[in-house]
This record gives sequence, structure tokens and C-alpha cells, in this order.
Amino acid sequence: MRVLLVEDTVGLGEAVQEQISADGHAVDWVQTLAFAETSVRTTHYDLILLDLQLPDGFGIDFLKSLRHGGNATPVIILTARDQVSDRIEGLNCGADDYLVKPFDLSELSARVFAVARRYRGNPNPVVSVGELTVNLGDHTVVRNGEPIELTSREWALLDAFLQHPGKLLSRSQLEDRLYEFGAEIESNTIEVYISRLRKKLGRDLVATVRGMGYRLKTHEG
Amino acid sequence: MKGKRSLQRTLSLGLTAGVTVLWLLGVLASGMVAQHEMEEVFDSALQETAQRILPLAVTDILSRESDRVQKTAPAMADHDEYLTYLIRDASGTVLLQSHDVDLSVFNERPGNGFYNTATHRLYGTSAVSQTIFIDIAEPLMHRQEAALEAGIALLLPLLLLIPVSLLGVWWTVRFSLRRVVDFSESLEVRGAADLSPVPVDQLPQELEPMAVSINRLLERLRRVLDAERSFTANSAHELRTPLATALAKVQRLKADLSETPSLRKVAEIEASLQGLSRLSQKLLELAKAEGGGVLSETPYNLVPVLETVVSDCEREEPGRLILQRSDAPVNSLLNPDAFAILVRNLIDNALKHGEQGSPVKVALSADGKLAVTNRGTALGPDELAGLRKRFVRSHTQAPGSGIGLAIVDAIVEGAGLHLVLRSPAPEQQDGFQAELNVVVSR
Repeated sequence: MRVLLVEDTVGLGEAVQEQISADGHAVDWVQTLAFAETSVRTTHYDLILLDLQLPDGFGIDFLKSLRHGGNATPVIILTARDQVSDRIEGLNCGADDYLVKPFDLSELSARVFAVARRYRGNPNPVVSVGELTVNLGDHTVVRNGEPIELTSREWALLDAFLQHPGKLLSRSQLEDRLYEFGAEIESNTIEVYISRLRKKLGRDLVATVRGMGYRLKTHEG
Repeated sequence: MKGKRSLQRTLSLGLTAGVTVLWLLGVLASGMVAQHEMEEVFDSALQETAQRILPLAVTDILSRESDRVQKTAPAMADHDEYLTYLIRDASGTVLLQSHDVDLSVFNERPGNGFYNTATHRLYGTSAVSQTIFIDIAEPLMHRQEAALEAGIALLLPLLLLIPVSLLGVWWTVRFSLRRVVDFSESLEVRGAADLSPVPVDQLPQELEPMAVSINRLLERLRRVLDAERSFTANSAHELRTPLATALAKVQRLKADLSETPSLRKVAEIEASLQGLSRLSQKLLELAKAEGGGVLSETPYNLVPVLETVVSDCEREEPGRLILQRSDAPVNSLLNPDAFAILVRNLIDNALKHGEQGSPVKVALSADGKLAVTNRGTALGPDELAGLRKRFVRSHTQAPGSGIGLAIVDAIVEGAGLHLVLRSPAPEQQDGFQAELNVVVSR
């Protein structure tokens, strides 16, 4: 997933970015609402992690304007405000979840996953693709009872395909899913990771549509 | 309030006593005036009677042909005589007397003008160059009887006046003070944390400045408490953010380390930071609970708040919580954040100190009765009493700060509620139950 992290505390932002990246998501981290607004205008995000008290305003106002403008990107609020009335206000303004600081990073990962799963419309964390059984909760892939190890980038790529089974994804779309702003991407990076996925999960898993991109072969297809 | 003097009782008794004393003084003054006037009237009648009888008697005496003529005037009809007279010559010889006369009443010699004996009031005058004298007597008893009857006639209404006055004054005072009584009752039932303005409009003019002053004081108090709450909220933010940063950094470090002694040390630091986070959370909750902002100015439905808190706790201990809540809203002036802190602490306690893995029942009825019940070893009365003390953690090995019930107690006290702790829980052989009614109304 492509995640936007809006957090002004440097140390916390770094740790959260590392955690979410380690979970296989691409994270763009901004420290002000102004940058957050620019980011959502220019990039499609699958999830926004939003602090409420920021140097140039309140996160809740940003969330309201987001929803007012028709943007339905899932939002998890990360805040030091622990009052239940703040939480209810946040959820009423369109937030999908609310995490009070200090929180465990594993809890954050679980919430990120839960929100993403909710938006895919599939509450079941276990997905079957051909001979593969993929658990979106604990990031495990099993084929005929044998677990298959994936790196975080490989997992992120598989996750991008699983979100859009059978749909054509361009190389730039896949790059967006794997890399945050400013990351240096080699021209053949996507091909390299596709090749690794095919090697580990089966050559027929991902089909190449020449000149256009890649598509996950569903069981039916 | 017992032992204090009631304004209504004091005014009723005081005003009635005042009216009675004034009436008595009035009766005394009227009596004295009436007696004086009656004396004048009676004296005038005595004098007039003497002066009317004497010429007739003189004519009668002078026209007598013999000394044997009857000297007693005959009565026209049988009657009691209030006035008796005696007509004598200068030597005191009786020439004529009224038919019922008592001679002992009169002096030996005729008198002149008004004079008294021990029993009678007399008037004497003369005619025919002071050769014939008349003395007319009236019993003093007659006058006293008249004065007494007049006095009784004035005093009798007092017997009716006292109860009527007492009742009238009591009712008038009660009617006049009804707004003051309402005002007093509204102050009496409000919790210690209720800082909403007191009603001013209905109060009598004389008491309005008092209510206005109370409202000014409440407004100042509210501002001070708001500032304190704002300080607590800011402190919470300033404390939580560095804690969150430290915890997140340590957890990332832990994720990067392989199985080495360093990993164990980092895990220990992580556990310490998590303990510090929990303790700071409890202390901030205690600060909020004791800050006084546990009541709202408008009622709030507490059911969604309960659901939110139970949903949070459910994440930590999946499958252990059984929620029984009212379908109808449970509206209360209890601040929703204070209610959330209260419920969270009761549930935390039940989860931590209840039998491991056993269900915890959270019930909120339509009438606002909240009960959190868990299984586990029953507590003795001494242990139950000690639970509310700060940093007392009963005989448990479960991790905790020991201030959960103290936080609950502070909220309960601030909102004027009553928390009941029971062990064993009702309808159980073991366990523990905390119960209170969370509905606070004006």
C-alpha cells in the first residue's frame, strides 16, 4: 500500500515510517498539513496516518476537508488526545480508526492491516490464489502446506496485485506502491521483483501485458 | 440542615407572637379608655338621676300632710336596683328612700358631689337651701362587671386571631419563600462538581444579588478548572509524545536486533516504557478526575461511550467481555470523558484481577444502573474497604498501578454518585461486582 504519514515529531515519525515500510508498504512522511494537502492532491494513497496536533493546524480540520472534498482514503488518527469525546469526534469526522499515543508499533501494524482489509471489502484475512494460500494478517504465503518466505518488497508487490485481482497494473502504479517520494528506483526494479515473485510463487502467477504492465492471474483466468 | 433554625418557622412564630402582643396592648389601651369613658357615662347617669329625682322628691316631701306618710318609694314592678337613693334632711333623718335601699351603704351624714365607699360610687346634692339632701349610690361591682364584659369582648377575638394569624403568616411566608425553597433545594441536590449557573430569574428581588454573586463565583471557578483541565490536557500531550517516540524507537531497535543479550535488555527497556506509559495514563486520569470537570452542562447519552470503551477493552482481551446495554439512551450530566475513564478503570480492574480467562459482565440498564461483574476469589470486608485507597492492590499478582478504584472514587465523589462494591458478586459464590447509578440530573 502507499501510505501517507502526517506526524511532526521527528523521532516518532521515523520509527512509524520504518515499521510501516517493514510491513511492506511505501510511506511518504510529511510534518505539516500544508505538505499533507499537497501530497493528497498529487498522489493516490491507500491509507493516511494522521496526527491531530500539527504546527500549522489541527489534523481534524484536514480530515474534514478531505471528506468534504469526496476523498474516501482510509484515515487512522494517531494522537496524544485520549479523551473518548475526541475519539468520537474523530470517528464522526470520517476517521476509520483512532490510536492513542504511546502505542505499540505491532498494534499500529494490526490496525493498518485491519483498515486496509475493510476497504478491500474482504474481512477474511486468508485469500486463496491458485495453489497459494495467502494470509494478509501475518503476511504468510503457503503452497501445499509449505510456507514461502517473502521479503517486504516482494510482499508489497503481491499485496498490490491481491488488492486488484485480474486488473492491469502499470509499472508506475506498482512503483508508487513500493516506493515513497524521492526513493531512487532503477529502471528495471519492478521487473526484478516480478521475476523473484514468479520464482517463489510460480511462473504463471503474474502475467505480463507487453508495453502496458502486469496482471495477477486469478483462479478463473 | 437539621438543628438549624427554619426561617419559615421563625417568621411564623415571631409574627404571630408580635401580632398577639400588639393585640393585647391594644386591648389594654382600649380597656383603659373604655373604662374611663364608662366611668364618665356612669357618673353622668348617677348625677342626672339624682338631679331628676330630687325635685320630684322635694315636691313630694313638702306636700306631705303627715310624718306617717310612707318614706319608701314604691316599686312599679319587681326588679333589681342598680341605683339606690336616700333623701335626708340636714340632721340625717331619712325623708325618702328607694325601695331596695341598703342604708349601710350611705354615710351618716349626706355628702356632696361624687365620692366612693368600699363597695359603692355615690353622688350627693341638695335642694331647698341645703335643707333636703339626696345621696344616690351605684355598686362598684356593677361598673367592674361592665368593664370586665367589655374587656372579654375585646379579648375573645384573640382566641381566633392567634391560630388564624399563625396559619396566615405561615402560608404567606411559605408562598413568599417558595422560590427561595426551590433555589435552596436545587443547590442541595447539585453535585460538588456541578458548576452550571444557579437560576436567578425566579428569586425574590432581595435575594437576587446573592444568586448573581454565586454565579460570578461559579464562573470564576469554572474558568480556573478549565485552565487546570487545559493544563492537564497539554501535559498529557507533552508527556505522551516523547513516551510514544521512546517506545516506538525501542520497538524498532528490538525488531532490528537478532537473538543476543542486547535483545533481552531492549525488551526490558520496552517493558519499562510500557509500564511508565500505563502509570502516566493512570496519573493523568486521576488528575482529570480530581480536577472537578466530571459533570457536563447538558445531558449526554452514555450508551455509545460505553460501547466505545468496551470495544477498546475487547481488543486487549478478545472474547472476555459480555456487554448488556440498554437499547434506550441513558442520558446523564456525567461528563462522557469522565464516564469513559470510570468504566475503563472498572473493566481494567475486572479483567486484571478477575479469574484469568473468565468472562467479565458489563451491564448498563435503562435507568442508568451500571454494573461490572467478574469471577474470582471473593474478598473479605477489610479487603473491600481497603480497595479504594490509592496504590493498594489487594492480594493480587496482576500488574497494575493500584489507583484504578481511587480514580473511579474521585469521579463518583465529584459527580455526587454512590459506588457499591460487593464480594462475592450477587447471584455468585465468588467474584466481585462494582455497581453505581450513572444518571446525574439537575
